[in-house]
Amino acid sequence: MLLKIIGSILVIGGSCVIGFTLSSAYSKRPVQLKILQSLIQMLGNEIRFMSSIITDAFERIGRSIDNPVASFFTNALEYLNNEESINIAQAWERAIYENMGKTALNKEDAEILISFGKMLGNSDIQGQLKNIEYTLQQLNLQQLKAEEAMKKYETMYKTLGILGGALAVILLI
Amino acid sequence: MNIDLIFRIAAVGILISILNAILKQTGREELAMLTTLTGLVLVLVMVAREIVNLFNLIKTMFQF
Repeated sequence: MLLKIIGSILVIGGSCVIGFTLSSAYSKRPVQLKILQSLIQMLGNEIRFMSSIITDAFERIGRSIDNPVASFFTNALEYLNNEESINIAQAWERAIYENMGKTALNKEDAEILISFGKMLGNSDIQGQLKNIEYTLQQLNLQQLKAEEAMKKYETMYKTLGILGGALAVILLI
Repeated sequence: MNIDLIFRIAAVGILISILNAILKQTGREELAMLTTLTGLVLVLVMVAREIVNLFNLIKTMFQF
C-alpha cells in the first residue's frame, strides 16, 4: 500500500514537472522577444550615434545582458573572429540556428532574425536603420502574438500535466 | 464483481470531462474530441473482461 502511494505521488509529480516545463516555454517567449528588441535597438544606437564597427557593437551587446538571446550576438562574433571567409550574414544565421534550442523562440522569430541578418552590412547607415526599424516592428508583432498564446496555453499545459498524471495513476492502480 | 472497477470508471469519467472542458476553453476542439474518444476506449478496455463474463454466463445459462 505504501509503495503504491509513493509510486502514484512520483507519477503525478513527474507529469506535473512536464506540464510546468512546457508552460514555462510559453511564459519565457514574450520576455525573450522583449529583450531581443531592446538588444536590436541597442545595435541601432551603436550604428546611429557611435558609428562603431559591427564586431565592437556585437561585443558590447553580447556582454550587456545575461540571457540566452544574447548568445546570438556573442556566438556570431565568435564565428566572425575565428573563421575565415565567412560574412556577417552567414555568421549570424549560424549563431541563430545553433542557439535556437536554448531559447524559447519559435521558427517564425528565427526567420525574422535571419532576414534581419541578411541585410546587415549591405547598405548605408540609413538603410541599416530602416532594416532595424522594420525588424523591431515585426518582433513587436511576434511579442503580442506570444503574449496572447501565453494567456491561452500556460494554464492549459499546467492543468493537463496534473490531470494527465492523475489519469495515469488511476489506470495503474 | 469488484466494486473498485466502478470507482475507477467514475474517476476516469470525471478527469476526462475536466480535460474536455479545459481543451474546449483554449480552443482546441479536435484535441478535446480526441480525449473524449480516448476516455471511451479506456473504459471499454476496462469493462471488456466483464462483458466477456456476461456473455459466458448467458451462454452457459441457455446451454448453447
